[in-house]
Amino acid sequence: MFKHFRRMLSIYKGAGWHFALSQLLVALAITATLLIQTLNGQLVNQGVQAGNVDVVINTSLWMIGLAIIGAFFSIGNAVYAVIFSEETGNYLRVKTYRKAQSLSFGNIDRFRTSDLLVRLTDDITNIRTAVLYGMIIILQAPLAILITFILTWVMAPSLIWIMGVVMVVVVIVMGFLLNGVQKMFSDRQQRLDQVNSVLQENLAGVRVVKAFVREKHESRRFAAAAEELRKTSLAPAIRIAMVNPATNIIVYLATAAVLYFGGSGVMVSQTLSLGQVVVFAQYLLYIIVPMVMLAYLLPYLESGETSAGRIFQVLDAEPEVQDKPGVEPIDWERLKGGVVFEHASFGYRSEDGQMESAMVLKDINLEVEPGQTIGFLGATGSGKSTLVHLVPRFYDVVEGRVLIDGINVRDFPQSQLRQMVSLALQEAVLFSGTVRANLLVGRPEASEEEMMEASAAADAHGFITAIPERYDARVTRRGNNFSGGQRQRLSIARALVPKPRILILDDSTSAVDVGAEARIQKALRGLLGKTTTFFVAQRISTVLTADQIVLLENGRQVAVGNHTQLIATSPLYREIFESQLGKLEDLPSSVGGSRQELKAEGGPA
Amino acid sequence: MNTTTTEATVLRDRVTADPPSPKAKPRQTLGRMLHYMTLERGLFWSMIVLLFISQGLKVALPVLIGRAIDIISGAAGGPATGSSRGTLQDLQVVVLVIVAVGLGIVLFSYFRDRVVAILAEKASYHLRTELFNHIQSLSLSFFDRQPIGELMSNVTNDIGVVNAFYTNGVSRILRATLIILMTVVVMFILNISLTVTVLVVIPLMLLLVGALGRVAGPAFARLQEQLGATNGYMEETISGGKTIIAYRQQQQVGDFLEKHSNTVRDTGARAQFTALLATPVMGVVNNIQTALVALVGSIMAIEGAFGFGTVVIFLTYAMQLQDPIQELGQIYNSFLAAMAGADRVFSILDEEPSVKDRPDAVQLQPIEGLVHFEHVDFSYLPGRRVLRDNSFEAFPGQMIGLVGPTGAGKSTIMNILTRYYDLDRGSISIDGQEISSLFQESLRRQVGVVLQEAFLFSATVMENLRYARENATDQECITAAKEANADDFIMQLPQGYNTLLTERGANLSQGQRQMITIARAMVANPRMLILDEATSNVDTRTEKLIQEGLHRLMEGRTSFVIAHRLSTVRKAAVILVIKEGEIIERGSHEELMARQGFYYDLYMSQFKGALAKGK
Repeated sequence: MFKHFRRMLSIYKGAGWHFALSQLLVALAITATLLIQTLNGQLVNQGVQAGNVDVVINTSLWMIGLAIIGAFFSIGNAVYAVIFSEETGNYLRVKTYRKAQSLSFGNIDRFRTSDLLVRLTDDITNIRTAVLYGMIIILQAPLAILITFILTWVMAPSLIWIMGVVMVVVVIVMGFLLNGVQKMFSDRQQRLDQVNSVLQENLAGVRVVKAFVREKHESRRFAAAAEELRKTSLAPAIRIAMVNPATNIIVYLATAAVLYFGGSGVMVSQTLSLGQVVVFAQYLLYIIVPMVMLAYLLPYLESGETSAGRIFQVLDAEPEVQDKPGVEPIDWERLKGGVVFEHASFGYRSEDGQMESAMVLKDINLEVEPGQTIGFLGATGSGKSTLVHLVPRFYDVVEGRVLIDGINVRDFPQSQLRQMVSLALQEAVLFSGTVRANLLVGRPEASEEEMMEASAAADAHGFITAIPERYDARVTRRGNNFSGGQRQRLSIARALVPKPRILILDDSTSAVDVGAEARIQKALRGLLGKTTTFFVAQRISTVLTADQIVLLENGRQVAVGNHTQLIATSPLYREIFESQLGKLEDLPSSVGGSRQELKAEGGPA
Repeated sequence: MNTTTTEATVLRDRVTADPPSPKAKPRQTLGRMLHYMTLERGLFWSMIVLLFISQGLKVALPVLIGRAIDIISGAAGGPATGSSRGTLQDLQVVVLVIVAVGLGIVLFSYFRDRVVAILAEKASYHLRTELFNHIQSLSLSFFDRQPIGELMSNVTNDIGVVNAFYTNGVSRILRATLIILMTVVVMFILNISLTVTVLVVIPLMLLLVGALGRVAGPAFARLQEQLGATNGYMEETISGGKTIIAYRQQQQVGDFLEKHSNTVRDTGARAQFTALLATPVMGVVNNIQTALVALVGSIMAIEGAFGFGTVVIFLTYAMQLQDPIQELGQIYNSFLAAMAGADRVFSILDEEPSVKDRPDAVQLQPIEGLVHFEHVDFSYLPGRRVLRDNSFEAFPGQMIGLVGPTGAGKSTIMNILTRYYDLDRGSISIDGQEISSLFQESLRRQVGVVLQEAFLFSATVMENLRYARENATDQECITAAKEANADDFIMQLPQGYNTLLTERGANLSQGQRQMITIARAMVANPRMLILDEATSNVDTRTEKLIQEGLHRLMEGRTSFVIAHRLSTVRKAAVILVIKEGEIIERGSHEELMARQGFYYDLYMSQFKGALAKGK
């Protein structure tokens, strides 16, 4: 039971000491509290019943003293419990985050970022809460129950059966009431999620809703979901509404029983004193309250356990791509930027980390000379992006090899590979900070001129300098204060700043308009003399001038060659060309000589 | 009991506490918030009655217990109230009454809480649906101002906090206030000196509750803020994880987070500690109170003022007062949070739609599709003109292409033609009727729109098609799907037309989603059409099918096509080239090419690469 949770409790370095101390303090605090009750008995018997005012005053002062001492023990416990839970939460957050950052693309795909985030936020909070309540309440409750039970037994053995009955009844009633409540709450959560997803969908599709004049329909849909939520919410609310009355009835009946049986003990058999009866009635609360608390808080422990399990899944994950043990950086002099794919095949792993049977890339063979430009064309899902991701070893090939300047990418340290290869990914992700910080992330030591040159080439210098703060302009979270096209241009500039040997532009101009794209293309050609460049593109105009164009279909390369070769030999290429740019015959006469070339029959350009 | 059960929820309440916005008018907001609880008159009043009965019985119980103690004490020779030297029979009667009252308390408070639950859920339901319906009535400009993600999280969080207040807060406040008042009254009736002894500690208690709240509240607010920043940082760097890997930033972001996280730990420790401090500190105060009552009461009992039972009564009352006082202190923060949430909800409810039907609006009769733009000026934000003096004409059945750089105003023309926004100047008329004189609904029913983003609902394919027109038959939907070339792949889905599409249509390819949106527009059978061409990634064959579908859709309808690929509008009767909000060129493809202007340059830039290479 609570396997993960116990592992969690030992994760914080000061664990042993703080834990032991906090529990000792709890025990002392409970003892102090119970002693006060015992003094109560003394107050009644030797004070009130005997009419002794001195005893009354003395006992009262003792009670206050004990209360203060007990409070200090409680505060001490709180200190350790808080430190313990916060340290554990902090340690886990940092450790899990670092672990998440050390994972490879493949792991990230499988965990999914939203899921990773939930683990880093909600799950850590759950654990922290569970540890905190675990230390201050849950562990002290059994102790409190035990000590009270023993004290009661010693004081009034003839009434102990009431205590026994009460405990059994509490367990039964709480078990009955709280059993299934968790499920009711999760049902409710599900309904709430449904309500929220209707809202979410409605807001996201607000234009469609308005375009088809379906506001009333949407309102009905939402009202239905909200009504379901209302009905589902009632069940757990009513069940919870029963807990208090149920606890109270146990207290009232038990009190009545103590008064009656205790009272007859005093009045008839005279085996008990009034003080004992009064104290016994108080002890009832000291047994029932911790038991109810336990019942209430057990779900926190359970959810802490679940969360701990989920955190350990991350902590125990192995990065898919790892450096070879003892790998040394390759001499930079040797690296020119030639890339070779040899019978490269690749397939993603399924959720459980097993290899998927379907290969995403099958038997890719390419030879790219240093400084060449390669364009990749193909439908969504044809494997273009995956293919270029193999170069900086974001994924490992399943079969075959990927070589850079004759060296298997597995024989590089990953950090050197990624220093050599720069990418602008499909989704241009910027980070909050300044424009400058974003541009220089790949090479912080780059000069101001180099940075501006790169952004000019990416057609970004213009809009950056239009902002008053220029390169010191703020970038908000994920770059949301820039348009999609601007983000893409910044992301290209960022990739250019390190002057990489190999540059990969993964559909990185999809949100840029045709005019700007043409400008970027032209500027890149000037800047990228010796850089091997991979273009992944949807628009054929992006790849027209590449030294090699690779046409992919369902993970296979179906044609390789330059534009002139492909237009002559590949019907698929010609089809794509014509669908995007118009029939060759229709091209304007002013295209003139190039029209001939576009139509040329084979032969290298 | 109360302190134990609420410990956990209180901590959560505190964490979510949010300072109310400065412009909040507290009393008004509170009244408006509570209004939703009173919608069911009958239930509301029965809650109040049940509340009085259950709390009244709760106050009566200690008196009975005191009476029982007196009987026992008296029989044992100790001090007792009055002259009664109780017998076992008296004790039996009192104990039976205690059982009866106990049962009464339990029964009434159970029904009370049940009614509260029903009222609270009804209140949340009404607030939710009212808000949703109101949002439906708002114009697009409202959604422009608020990013949808933000609006979404505001609405869900705020309703959540208000809902929590309905379920927990309202009845807890009423319960606590009532029991405090009733207890104090009964105490005064029973014995004034002991009452004063009990109450003497209360100001100290209030002071401490207030002080702790004042420290804990801001501490939790700070924690929440720092935690939000840390979570935001993690969200940014985890969702951008691949970029982090590509730029070798793993170590740096890890170090940065550690710094952030350490701050959270320190603030968190302080905040939690302040919260936890409440229990022992209040405990000491309570114990001092108990000791004082015991001391004064015992001495008075010894002197014969009353029996020991009365001391027990006051001890119980003293205890009974502690919980609600602490509770009120705890609820205060969640009360503030609920007020802040309600305030934001109400500010949305008070939002007026910016585009309204005129009082004398008329229905648009079936149109031919003659569209007239005359000197149209438009801006989304005052002073930032997006369209300047645009005039053009589209004849029935014509296809009009809109071309130009990003941000030139192409989509804006679509937005004002469907009257999502009102013009600054000029007029738009359809078949001679100005659109501002029409019911928005009747205009939009005749103008079909196919948006760039192929948005589908999580519903079956058939339901998505029928979304365009509620009374369309299955057959009509299927015919439309066939026309849009969508029938083939739909039939290959596991359940054909009854296949459930996941959120935003994720289980279809983008091309397939587009075909469904085209079919959907066909089901609507509009007289006029606006198409925002998708720039998305579709393979050549799908693209061809989509183009075919679009052409069938446009047949015989006046169509406006916002083109991103120039090949799409080659066949247009008129191409409008828009730059910086103005129509700078117009004419057919051939005319515009011959003119060698902006359009020509744009067109040729597609081949620039090829040309440069050629030379």
